[in-house]
Amino acid sequence: MIISFLPIWIVDMTGSILMIVFSFLCLSLVRRLRNRDQGNVIWTYLFWVCLGLAAFAISRSAGHIVKQILVLSGHEAVWSIIRPYSGAINSLMFVFVASVTLFFERIWKIYRQISKDKQALQTISDELRFLNQNLENLVAERTQELALSEHKYRRIFEVSRDMILVTQPDGTIINLNPAGCKLLGYKEPVSSFSDNSFADFFVKASDWHRIRKTIEQQSFISNAEVSLEDTDGKQIRVLVSGSLDKGFSDRDATIHFLVKDIEQRRIVEEQIAQADKLASIGQLSAGIAHEINNPLGIILGYTQLLIRNEKSNSEKFDDLKTIEKHVRNCKSIVEDLLNFARSSKPNEDVIRLDEAMEDVLSFIQQHAGLDNISVKKNYDSAVPEMRLDEKKIKQVFMNLIMNAKHAIGKEGNLAISTGYNPDEGNVVVKISDTGHGIEKKDMARIFDPFFTTKPTGEGTGLGLSVSYGIIKNHGGDILVESEAGKGSTFTIVLPLVSPHSRLAHAKIHSYN
Amino acid sequence: MIFMIAEPAFATQAHSAPEGLYAHQLAHIFFIISMGVLIYWLRARQLVRSAGWRYIQYAALFFILWNLDAFTVHLLEEQLAVIDIQRINLWQIKITANNHSNALLWLYYFAKFDHLLCVPALLFLYFGLRRLMKKAQTSTPGLVSS
Repeated sequence: MIISFLPIWIVDMTGSILMIVFSFLCLSLVRRLRNRDQGNVIWTYLFWVCLGLAAFAISRSAGHIVKQILVLSGHEAVWSIIRPYSGAINSLMFVFVASVTLFFERIWKIYRQISKDKQALQTISDELRFLNQNLENLVAERTQELALSEHKYRRIFEVSRDMILVTQPDGTIINLNPAGCKLLGYKEPVSSFSDNSFADFFVKASDWHRIRKTIEQQSFISNAEVSLEDTDGKQIRVLVSGSLDKGFSDRDATIHFLVKDIEQRRIVEEQIAQADKLASIGQLSAGIAHEINNPLGIILGYTQLLIRNEKSNSEKFDDLKTIEKHVRNCKSIVEDLLNFARSSKPNEDVIRLDEAMEDVLSFIQQHAGLDNISVKKNYDSAVPEMRLDEKKIKQVFMNLIMNAKHAIGKEGNLAISTGYNPDEGNVVVKISDTGHGIEKKDMARIFDPFFTTKPTGEGTGLGLSVSYGIIKNHGGDILVESEAGKGSTFTIVLPLVSPHSRLAHAKIHSYN
Repeated sequence: MIFMIAEPAFATQAHSAPEGLYAHQLAHIFFIISMGVLIYWLRARQLVRSAGWRYIQYAALFFILWNLDAFTVHLLEEQLAVIDIQRINLWQIKITANNHSNALLWLYYFAKFDHLLCVPALLFLYFGLRRLMKKAQTSTPGLVSS
């Protein structure tokens, strides 16, 4: 096939020139890229690719152009000499460009890693710059935040109504809040507790060991009920919760305790339980008393009838008198039980408490004697007249003073006082003695019917229970404080009801 | 003395003329492979989403085509010697196929226009670099659009 060589020649020559032009344009562009960002390995990689391509374009295109010129000018022999060199250089250039190209993946990985590191460095650099520029403000802000936080927690520590205590693991006190100081009997908040240990305040050392062991094992303890003894020796029942803060090292470990005073709650609970018990006994007593009272009345009636028909000196008369005496005793006990059970409505007499008390003291002085007992009286003149059942109130005073006399024995002091609390609207009567006091184990039972510490035959055990019933029937309360060997104080609290209002009310009714 | 008395041992291998051609052809194959690898990684790394790298991918594709073209010309004309070229005059040539195949003649003739493949390859490379340049000018130094 004979064909024109011109198209091939034109494409070859033009293409060769364009290859050189474009390869150098590429090289120029990539050089600018590399100069702009010299640390960028991708631009360096592309630079070497383009450099190889430019070298290849020169070697190849120059070869082609030289060939065309030599062939056209009839110097084919010269081209035959150059041709192997041109071909060999072309081959080398291929291999160079291809080799550089093959490194793309590795270069890209390096580039990504560098970019990542650079980004991280940039972030750190920005943060450092920011910190450097704003360090003072940041420190001030953080200090203020810390101060606020410290203030907040310090306030919680200081105003807490419960005891907050920080100790070392062995119990040595590090810090104690004001409520804790008060609970443990310190007169004022203490700042230094040199070598004071929380363990010293436990009534039972075993309680402290149990708490410590539990915290060691579990790192915390919740609501352990124990008794503490304050600096004055007063015992307080408390709930102890604590947790171990291990700190940064073993040496920094501390235990944080929260101690809740439950003494008052326990006392109230005991009082409620006592009141419930007495109410139950009262109901039972009232039932029994009612059932026994009628047969006793009949026995007494018939006994008295029989006595009338007997001669006064006969043996039978004496027997009937004995029966009458014991039946009357039984009726008296039943009446006391009914008083305790509060089954009868009290009379409404307008009396003055101090006068009633004086009557009782005078009666006792005459019949039982108070010669070796120093009686101190302190009547509050502000106590107004009150509407009470005079007979029953006097019975209460009689019971309490006789109990005090019995407790004092041969010699001692008896203090009687009255007081008026207008704010609370009540009147308080206190009867204190310096007698043998009441054992702690008996405290819960002293108002129980038939409970007595007196020898058999000397007391029925109904005095205090009757007094309790009478005071409760008047809407009041009777409290006792006692310490064995030191004495007792009975406090009667009576609500104040103005007698005039009731009387006025009664008059209106009578007029109607 | 030892070197002087030694007989020819043919210790050094001689290189005859075809080795240059084979080396050249292998260089073309190597070029094709490296461009293929480049395209693979550009796509695997999803760089072709960016216009600059997409143009560079096209450049690599055209380089592959050009290498195939050049390889074919060398194969037909020099390696297999199935094509014979004679210059009739300054602007005319006579192409003869040993097996008298017209298709082979035309294939050879059009394959001679290899610049129609390698020039676009460089053109795409240029466009690609220009795009990368434009992108680099609008972004932070150190970052390559990807």
